[in-house]
Amino acid sequence: MDHFARLGMPAMLDLEPADLDKAYFSRQRQWHPDRFVSKPPEEKAKASAEAAALNDAYRTLKDPLDRAVYFASLKGVELPGDGKTIDDPELLMEAMEVREALHEADTVEAVDALAEKARRDMKAALSGLASLFLRDDKPALRKALLRLRYLDKFAEEARARRMNLERAKA
Amino acid sequence: MTYSPKLIDHYENPRNIGSLDKNDEGVGTGLVGAPACGDVMKLQIKVGADGLIEDAKFKTFGCGSAIASSSLVTEWVKGKTIDEAETIKNTDIAKHLALPPVKIHCSVLAEDAIKAAIADYRAKSAKKDEPVSEGEQVAVPAK
Repeated sequence: MDHFARLGMPAMLDLEPADLDKAYFSRQRQWHPDRFVSKPPEEKAKASAEAAALNDAYRTLKDPLDRAVYFASLKGVELPGDGKTIDDPELLMEAMEVREALHEADTVEAVDALAEKARRDMKAALSGLASLFLRDDKPALRKALLRLRYLDKFAEEARARRMNLERAKA
Repeated sequence: MTYSPKLIDHYENPRNIGSLDKNDEGVGTGLVGAPACGDVMKLQIKVGADGLIEDAKFKTFGCGSAIASSSLVTEWVKGKTIDEAETIKNTDIAKHLALPPVKIHCSVLAEDAIKAAIADYRAKSAKKDEPVSEGEQVAVPAK
């Protein structure tokens, strides 16, 4: 069963977060261990397996990027895994440039400006995915999702850098 | 997770951080990245007239193991021929730094980086050797 089906949601790139929450919380109650205290072990085991699968599905679908990557995998678009370099010099050049800029940013304002640009780029790239899915353009999807991974990582690094700068100021 | 003293040493005192002029004829640049963790690694070599690697620099944005792996490679390649440098295996890097299993991919990335730098250097010198005929396009990076 895929993550969408497990949550009773239509398999779509765009989900209403409130619908997803609702679907998750009602199912989570259904498999809650408290309801299986006096049940035979097989039923207990089944309930805990269901609860774990449900959590996994919810975590994946809740995050827009994880959801897009998962949705792509259902459509046959696989991203390269660990330990293989990506063959996209433009993306690598872009990633190197922004990471260098972040490394050199020595004020909170400078970090915020870079983070803001990354957020805008991410939003644009995420909203561009829908049309790529419609066209079933697998190479372009793969490229866009990899770029999103790098932007996401950059946002994380920018948060860490910001925290360090704030701490140094205090 | 415990890290080996060698790894910590390379992480805390990385060797050869920096950049070489990528337009220099003797410089080969390798740029690689790990999709799963969003790391990016640049490794450059400068080959002298005698065919030996006289300098190597790296810049890595990634975890400690990725930094240590690339730092170690820049140290290893200096004074070697490019053919010798090409034989560096990720398993040697991982063994030297005693990388934990979940960090083996960092050494793979460092091997990819030196291979890419060597390939770039070779492509450059091949182009230098053959005269540019009329009408031939010289490849310019996009943008």
